[in-house]
Amino acid sequence: MGARNCTCRLYTTLAAIGAACRAAELLDSVPDPVLSDLDQKEAVAGLQGYQHPALSANPDPVEAELEAKELSKYLLAKSFFDCKEFDRCASVFLPDSLLSGLLSTKATDATTPKGKAKASSAPPFEQALPSLSQKSLFLALYAKVISGEKKKNEESEMIMGPQDLGTIKNSHLVVVSRFLERWFAERKAEDSDLPPSQGFLEYLYGMVMVKEKNEDAALDYLLNSVHLFPWNWGAWLELTNLISGVEQLNKITPVLPQNIMSFIFYANTAVNLYQQGQDLAASVNDLLKLFPTSSFILTCRALLNYHSKDLYTAEQNFSNLLALHPHRLDSLDHYSNILYVLNMRPKLAFLAHLCSSIDKFRPESCVVIGNYYSLLSLHEKAVQYFRRALTLDRSCLSAWTLMGHEYVELKNTHAAIESYRRAVDVNRRDYRAWYGLGQTYEVLEMNAYALYYYKKAAGLRPWDGKMWQAVGSCLQKMGKDRDGIKALKRALLADSYYDSTLSSFGSAGPADRMAQMDPEVLLQIAFMYDRLGEVEEARAYMELCVAQEDGGATDNVDTSAVCTSNPGESFVVHGDSPGSDGDAEGGYEGRGGAGQGEGTGVTVATSKARMWLARYAMRTEDYVTANRLATELCQDGVEVEEAKALIREVRSRMELADLTER
Amino acid sequence: MARYLTPAKIGLLALIELYVEETVPNDAIIPVLSFLTSHILDSDLQSTMTTTPSAANRWQRAERSIGLVVSIKDFEDLLLPFPAADRLPGRRLWDRFLEKLWGIDSLDALQTFFSRQPRVLARTREELRRMTELGEELPSGILLARNSPLGAFVRKAVLEFTRLQFHHSAELWKAFVKYRQPTVSYWRRRNPQCGRLSFDSVLMESQHEWGSFTDGIAVTAYGGMLMDEEDGALPVSTDDIESLLEFQIDQIQKYGARVPAEIKAKFHAMLRDSHVVPSLSHYLNFSDAWRSGDYPSAFDYLHRYFDYTMQNRDRLFYHYALMNLAIVQSDFGCHKEAMATMLETISTARENKDNTCLNFCLNWFYHFGRAHPDLVQDLEANSMIGSGKEALAFLRAKAKETGMLVLRSSALLSEAKLNMANGESIAGAMEHLVRSSHIIVERNMKSLIGSQLSVTTSLWDRLGISYLSTMTSEVFLRVHAPSACFDDELKMVCRLAGTLAGKGKYDEAFAKLEDGIDKNLLRAAKPNQYWHLYRGLVKLRRDLHHNDLDTAETLLAQLLQIGSEELDPDVVFIIDSLHIEALIRRKDFDAAYEKIERLIAKFRDDHRDLSLRIRLLLVKAHLFDCMGRPERGFSITMRAASLAWRARLLTLLWQAVGALANILNAMGEFTAAVQLVEAVLPRSMESENAFNTGILYSILADARMGQAGKAAKARQAMTTTGETAGAAAAAAASLMNNKKLDLFTKAHEALECAFNHFSAAEDLEKQCETLAKRATLMKVLGDHARAEEYAARYMALKRQSSSGEHSSVWSTDTGTP
Repeated sequence: MGARNCTCRLYTTLAAIGAACRAAELLDSVPDPVLSDLDQKEAVAGLQGYQHPALSANPDPVEAELEAKELSKYLLAKSFFDCKEFDRCASVFLPDSLLSGLLSTKATDATTPKGKAKASSAPPFEQALPSLSQKSLFLALYAKVISGEKKKNEESEMIMGPQDLGTIKNSHLVVVSRFLERWFAERKAEDSDLPPSQGFLEYLYGMVMVKEKNEDAALDYLLNSVHLFPWNWGAWLELTNLISGVEQLNKITPVLPQNIMSFIFYANTAVNLYQQGQDLAASVNDLLKLFPTSSFILTCRALLNYHSKDLYTAEQNFSNLLALHPHRLDSLDHYSNILYVLNMRPKLAFLAHLCSSIDKFRPESCVVIGNYYSLLSLHEKAVQYFRRALTLDRSCLSAWTLMGHEYVELKNTHAAIESYRRAVDVNRRDYRAWYGLGQTYEVLEMNAYALYYYKKAAGLRPWDGKMWQAVGSCLQKMGKDRDGIKALKRALLADSYYDSTLSSFGSAGPADRMAQMDPEVLLQIAFMYDRLGEVEEARAYMELCVAQEDGGATDNVDTSAVCTSNPGESFVVHGDSPGSDGDAEGGYEGRGGAGQGEGTGVTVATSKARMWLARYAMRTEDYVTANRLATELCQDGVEVEEAKALIREVRSRMELADLTER
Repeated sequence: MARYLTPAKIGLLALIELYVEETVPNDAIIPVLSFLTSHILDSDLQSTMTTTPSAANRWQRAERSIGLVVSIKDFEDLLLPFPAADRLPGRRLWDRFLEKLWGIDSLDALQTFFSRQPRVLARTREELRRMTELGEELPSGILLARNSPLGAFVRKAVLEFTRLQFHHSAELWKAFVKYRQPTVSYWRRRNPQCGRLSFDSVLMESQHEWGSFTDGIAVTAYGGMLMDEEDGALPVSTDDIESLLEFQIDQIQKYGARVPAEIKAKFHAMLRDSHVVPSLSHYLNFSDAWRSGDYPSAFDYLHRYFDYTMQNRDRLFYHYALMNLAIVQSDFGCHKEAMATMLETISTARENKDNTCLNFCLNWFYHFGRAHPDLVQDLEANSMIGSGKEALAFLRAKAKETGMLVLRSSALLSEAKLNMANGESIAGAMEHLVRSSHIIVERNMKSLIGSQLSVTTSLWDRLGISYLSTMTSEVFLRVHAPSACFDDELKMVCRLAGTLAGKGKYDEAFAKLEDGIDKNLLRAAKPNQYWHLYRGLVKLRRDLHHNDLDTAETLLAQLLQIGSEELDPDVVFIIDSLHIEALIRRKDFDAAYEKIERLIAKFRDDHRDLSLRIRLLLVKAHLFDCMGRPERGFSITMRAASLAWRARLLTLLWQAVGALANILNAMGEFTAAVQLVEAVLPRSMESENAFNTGILYSILADARMGQAGKAAKARQAMTTTGETAGAAAAAAASLMNNKKLDLFTKAHEALECAFNHFSAAEDLEKQCETLAKRATLMKVLGDHARAEEYAARYMALKRQSSSGEHSSVWSTDTGTP
């Protein structure tokens, strides 16, 4: 009941904010209170004097009095806000003259006549802040910020046009932050006669500071706000955006108030940080028990599956979500990514159709459509739709990244780099953008840059083999074979990491999945060892690589329990391989139809390994082995000519050996 | 509304694919291909192939293309009769077609469908080379050349699909699902596995996953379409609408017909909920309102059309707007405004140096001036256009310079007409005619054949060779009418009806007017008015001949009300002359005289057509005759005769000669009268006007009687002198007597002929008169029995005319113009 109460309250106070939507959503997904055993008594008791929490007065008497006084003005301002007349709304409580007075510095001799008039009436710094209820103050300042954002959007140029440098700032931030600075200073200095803050202004101040890139202070204020009023999901969201890594998240967790909101926050943030694991899955499942139909939590679960590369489950989750909330567009862009990777064209087309018939001017819809066109290899059209998505919402992360991918397809590396860069600027945690940047630079053969970005990506997803493989091959190209070997080994290890986590979702990947390693990686490692002159190591890896053909990686060489998830999914994660890395794809094609438990079958990589082994056997005068390997090569029909030449040579050598023996 | 692609076009593409895959059996190839081409190409193959295109199937094309857009039924009608070429027995071509359509089972499949379309095209050399390089198999089988009609259609469709925005392609997909839905029951019969949601394979497949939520998702994606909500938006594209509009406007302008009501209703259904209303549709509305005689709407629509088009084009179109306005105004009888507007048009066109417009305007203005001399009178003196002749010469030269053949030939025709009207040399008129005809035939300008032949007929009419003119009219109606403007057709029919009425074949004339014309075409206001008017005229003439003056006056009252402003001056003159005749028959000579005098003065001032003026003179002479003072008309008649002779207006010449003979009769110069009439009679019979011939015969009879009377006097003189002269004189007297008898017989014969002609013309009064004369003659001859008989017939006729039997019979279908 408490949760319900407070969520209601939150709803009324923050109706202005988009987060209210989420609150109402949650409220709706709480099972009916009358039926739940826990609340039954309370409910019966409460029903007598039940006043809907949305209408109840502010618990703080001073604030309540102020609010009562300002009610008519507040209603006026609120309706202005609802009519999207933000400046007008702000000026109901905080006229522009007041704000400009606040803005002017200590110097009394302001240059403008307006400032002078002000200065004569009252010294600007001493000018008292208007005594307003926090609710009204919040509304006014918030309106000011929003109006600034609006102006900023209006002033910004065409997406990625010549003028679009991303340098336009929200000009109202300064006023608001100065106002709030003073407001909080007053609270701190004068001991008590002012009523205590209720958390919203902290939230606002935190938000403004985030926009001003003052992140540490912002974190403090937001934490404060969350403590004062934990039901403000907006504040939680800002916190989520501030946290840059798992370490920070873990550091912050003990400081948070211990309630359901922080629980939700933790789950959401972890998902956003691409975390995965048993614990997280369990906590999401716990939340689902509380809010069984909450679309938000369901999305979290689907995303969790997605991040742990369990695409089929994620697809199913999203599909169910779609069935439950057919009109909900949020995070359908992720769904479209999944469908893209799974190459489910009809379904993606249907999804795009659905989105465009619900609202074709939502960034999500545009991203879905863009993904569909990308799947059809209509890259220009895809770019057009991603652009549209960005015009609608500049902070649409996935659109920036996906646009980068499309530009790579269109061989426009310059534009690709720029859009990846934008994506990274919007959100520094987007590993796909980092990876894309790396890949683009790799295409341009600027390996040092590429390495830097690959390392970033790998840092974000340390358990993703793909990242390490990229790092490894980059190092290899730069001639740092030792480091390369390390990175690639890590890639092999990382691939095995997923397996342990997948089981948490019961229905996840098939249990009898055979342990496999990527022959490509093995080959690379082997080649590097070969270059370093450590022939024995090289041979071992080559043999391991060949062994992948029949899936029998049981005789693991050095990595313990090297096993990997379903290869079909793990390496083709959408966004991970946008480039036309033909060699890698060539490696997978051969085993597509081979069945999952059967091993890779003959691939380019294994053939290369076999060839190397055959030559090695030649060098070590192990002619029998060489002959066997070469014959196998002939049978596989790969590099037949070379193999035949090899066989001839082996035969002649063997004959020669026979002769000499005699 | 889509720009180009519609479900119907997807159907056409599928049909092309079927054809290319060689699933179309041999006997279906021609129907399928002609179906395809008739929908892909603009030109109307059907009507050019059939030898006798009629006005009724003129609109068929519009109907067909609307039908195709609206429902899939057309495909079914085409394909159901044929078996499929390659499949199990019992499968029809229609099944194969449906297989194709239902194979497009999702939005993605639609995308695939379009992306595989280029396979039906022949590859370019470049592509072939690349294919051989890649070692691919070269395409074989039927391939469409890239520039063939079908190939161009396929390419255009694919291009348009590529251009579509995503939500437009989603719209197309939805429209397609809806278009295909009527075939679901048939399809299900053949494919039992086809379920409720089989229109979208994604829904179908996800059904087990989504369970009961599937419907919700389907409704979200497809909107109200699935719940049988009749939103009525037809899957029509701008391209279809525009081609339909162009077609309709073309029809209206070319044939002057209105759009049939049913097609109009269908078209409006298509246009109803399209977001973009092409501005051309305002023009269509304007044309339609114009034709239907709805002046305010026409005005409104014209202004609207030009307001909407002004933004796309330049202000250059200002004078075209004015020109249209002027034409509308004159059509609705606001001649003064029309003139002002047209003058402004001319000056604007001059400013803008738009020769085409200028020439057209001048041509129009010339005709306008001919039709309304009173209005342009003030201008003629001080304007650049000058008098008619110079203007025409100017126009002709201009047209030759700028190569505007239509204008040139119409200027030539006008010159020919002017020549005839001024009574100048027939050879000159003929020359112009031949030159214009040469241009028309050489350039195959079918639209001008009408006016060419109409001038030709009027030339033959003036020359009094009515069978030639009738023949020309018939030729036009049989051969050229379907491709000519309806106005021309109507005029020809009316002219033929007039000739028939002149012969006294009133019923045939009415039949011609009733049956010879397509009722739908008569929905246009102007032709309708004209048609009613002509019916009225024929009826009026018959009533006058029947001496049914009351009915005639009722009709006249109506006809005279129409006002000269709105009508052809020729028709106005006919009405006037019939009015005068009615007045004369009423014996209201004063009024008749006054009217004639007024008309003569007016026509002289206006330099009107010579034939009309001669006609007036003759009417005046006739008036004097009726008043019993024929000799007072002598000079008038002489003038009429000489004018008619000079202008070779032969029909009028015969009438004038007849009038002259009548005067001679009155003056007792019977022999001269006989000579004149006998010379003229055979030629007059050629002109096939029964009444005039009858009058000539009756004059001849009068003259013979006069001669007989003279002979009798001479005999008397002879007998008085013969008593002295004796036997020789007696012999001479008997000779004279014989001669008298002979003359009587001749007079009787002439009277009989006259009677026959009058009865052919159904003119009661003249019939009575002749009968009375014949009775008298018989009495003189002493044949009392026959005299009695004639007298009895006379009485019967008299009764008939006074009882007004005819009026009661005919008043039921009196046309009100």
